[in-house]
Amino acid sequence: MKYLILTVFIALLSTSYGQDGKKVQFVGGARSQMSNSSFKSDPSDSTTAPKSTGGYALVDLGIKINPNKSTEILGMFRIRNDFGGFWGSGVTFGVRQLYIRGVAGKVLRYQVGNLDYKLTPYTFYNHNADILTKSVGTMAIKEDIFNYESFYRKNTWRQQGASINFALQFPKVVKEIEFNGFITRMNPTNFADIMERLYGGGNMVITQGKHLTIGLNHVSIFDLAGTALDSNAYSNNVSTLTYDLRFDAKNFKYGVDGESGISSSGLSQAPEDALNDYFLHARTYLNFKKKHLAFDLGYMDNGADFRSFGAQSKRIDYSQQNNFFNRYTNDQILRPVSMYDIYNDPALFSNGIQAGVMDYNPSMNNALPYGIATFNRRGGYLGASYSDSAKIIDASAKYYLLSEIRGQGTTALKSFHYANLDVNFSLSNLMKWKKKVNIHAGLAFQKTTRDGEFTFENVDLTSITVNTGFEVEVIDKLSIMANLFLLQSKGTDQLPVRDANDVIVNYSDFRVDGIESNIAGGLKFAFSEKVYLAAMYEWNKNSFVVDNPYQFRQTSIYYVMKF
Amino acid sequence: MKKYGILLLVVSVLFSCRKDEIETSDGPNLTDIYGIFEVVNTLSTSQANVDFAAGQSVHFTSEISIITDWELRITGQTSGAEKIITGTGKIIDASVSTWDGSTTNFPIFQAEVCDVMLTFPGEVDTLYSSVTVDSPKTNAGFVIADFESGWVGGWTSFIQSGGNMDFNIKTDGTAAEQGSYFNMQGIVDWDWLVGLVNFNAVSYGSSTLPLTDNAENLYFNVLIYGQPGLPNSRVLFQFDEDEDQGGTFTAVNEDQFAIEILINWEGWKQVSVKYSDLVGNGAGGGTHNPDRINAINMLHLADPSSGLAKSKLDYIIFTENAALNP
Repeated sequence: MKYLILTVFIALLSTSYGQDGKKVQFVGGARSQMSNSSFKSDPSDSTTAPKSTGGYALVDLGIKINPNKSTEILGMFRIRNDFGGFWGSGVTFGVRQLYIRGVAGKVLRYQVGNLDYKLTPYTFYNHNADILTKSVGTMAIKEDIFNYESFYRKNTWRQQGASINFALQFPKVVKEIEFNGFITRMNPTNFADIMERLYGGGNMVITQGKHLTIGLNHVSIFDLAGTALDSNAYSNNVSTLTYDLRFDAKNFKYGVDGESGISSSGLSQAPEDALNDYFLHARTYLNFKKKHLAFDLGYMDNGADFRSFGAQSKRIDYSQQNNFFNRYTNDQILRPVSMYDIYNDPALFSNGIQAGVMDYNPSMNNALPYGIATFNRRGGYLGASYSDSAKIIDASAKYYLLSEIRGQGTTALKSFHYANLDVNFSLSNLMKWKKKVNIHAGLAFQKTTRDGEFTFENVDLTSITVNTGFEVEVIDKLSIMANLFLLQSKGTDQLPVRDANDVIVNYSDFRVDGIESNIAGGLKFAFSEKVYLAAMYEWNKNSFVVDNPYQFRQTSIYYVMKF
Repeated sequence: MKKYGILLLVVSVLFSCRKDEIETSDGPNLTDIYGIFEVVNTLSTSQANVDFAAGQSVHFTSEISIITDWELRITGQTSGAEKIITGTGKIIDASVSTWDGSTTNFPIFQAEVCDVMLTFPGEVDTLYSSVTVDSPKTNAGFVIADFESGWVGGWTSFIQSGGNMDFNIKTDGTAAEQGSYFNMQGIVDWDWLVGLVNFNAVSYGSSTLPLTDNAENLYFNVLIYGQPGLPNSRVLFQFDEDEDQGGTFTAVNEDQFAIEILINWEGWKQVSVKYSDLVGNGAGGGTHNPDRINAINMLHLADPSSGLAKSKLDYIIFTENAALNP
């Protein structure tokens, strides 16, 4: 009898999990982390416990159902157990993803529920403005984790709502017109002073042929009047034009692309205080096909009052507190968010956009704190990239020379220099080894200056980020990893202090002279591309709080699986 | 060549310059923040005399050269009462400095001459003025006790026979509101209870207190004095609700709500609580019915091993819509 049951079960599995035409699939991931940390600051600190251990195991189990060829339903649950939990304490259950998507009438693609969505860099886009360099080895493992936790995929933001997409094709003049639309809910009403807030928009992308693509884009954050007692509704509207005019010669491609548009934001009962502005961004590019070499030259002019919070929301909210050793010294001062925290604590990352100007850390990115959509920036940039066909070297470099358009508290304008270099070198591809040997180096340099009539107008802030490392496969599937991360910042700036309506009401003096360094090494055993076990040791030193420098030493074990 | 022409045209159009904003700036001017501190206009008062009881208010004006923090301190020459108004800016006017007669540090203002002092943290300059309060602010609400008329008929009490016992109304110049307060002190080394007073509704002419039935909108307020060096006193206020309106409170089947306050501060302090936030015994269903309170019991408690306990009470008042703004 038990053999009969087993046979029926296997038969059911084979019908459910067939690789092609499957009706039910299990997708998701599993992860476990254990860490032991020691914290050291002022030797006289007898208040802060110097050691911390912890860990967790979690499973994301998603069931993807295809009731028919044109419909897909995904529901994903998360079960997480913090180590040390007992009889259910420390165990949490939650819904991680839920959506239905499909094609209606073989024409209209739709999705309802969770959306990972983006439009254009100035309308709806998840810029990575806090981590300026790429990573390999131990740092790449951490990036992989917080990107997974926060649903950061190719610059999309996770939203809840609905989206549609369809396209029309034509025999003459225009090749194709594609339409995209979405509507999501940003926050519910409290029936008193907070209205239901929605975020919606879409675009129409016209592909004329092989030379020209034009897009008309519009997004809007808006309060639904009547959903609360308060009737002072907020809105942020952005309309843009995107274009790509390109030509193809025998050995190279060249063209102009970019985005330009207008924005307005404000409250319905204070139209006189509304912010209206526009931006221009254009780029020429030249790609040498055979030499795998590309150059671009760009110009941007983002108005001081240009607001597009779908593209200006930051991944990190710097007004929040750390979750790990958040206070230290006998005075139990707050420990500011550091690069170590950013790489190690996925809880610091935002899962959605925020209607309002967010705080930023000038040491990490002062030139473009809200990405390329940063308001009050004008200037140009020059970029180059090279990637050979054997994938031995993949390198890119970009230099921005920017300034403010409108001064803050003075007519003197801040100038920004920003250089970014990233090189990935594959020794294994060069030597044609089967085992992987990758070496990476990333560098970001920023300098902000302002010279005014009075001494108090002057600012001078310099920041350097270095992120380098290697990953060497020493025996089959087992790699050695080593990384050095360094952030150094020195100088002064004046940061605007804004009120609830984002109006500048004061300035705070920003003075910094600190270094954060993180040296890490470890081993990684890759069972497959999507499953690995890693052990690493890190030594992090931070002197950004001048009177209270501190350091961590941490040993961690990660097990990561995706399926 | 035509292609290059199109390209050039597109680039030229896109790179066209915006209107120059070189003469404008965002936010307050830096010279207003980091410039030299100077008094532009000295401190003055909108009126020399003010009658708060008649609904009047007074405001103060001054102007300084930079945006800075400031503190306006009004001190009663007779009572020693203080009102502190703080702000940030370069212009001090009615929008930020209006005084409605309320008090920051007890006692409450009387009809008296008040000194006004304007200071700026980090600066040596201090500006002075004065204003005369013709009559102090009055507060809307139902007063349970301000002790100005002595012991009210209908109040009952029980005082332990311990040492140094003194449960009496006093008028010695240290009251928080007007002239009199209720003093509570004694050593009781066998019981937590030192003494108690029952403020019975019959004292106010009815079997229940004349209060609103909306517990979400009703606040109980009392001024309590913490004796320096004696942080061992507690006061427990019990609110007996006559649920069946039978004229008496029965603990087994009627609600009694309460709040216990550990007096671990020094000097006078206002304690306010929304009636709906009071915790009850649940005997009568747990619904807050302030319109059915037939007695408020005030118990002065202390750890029997802690020795002398001493505290004072003044101005017990119910207010609607908000806590007392004394």
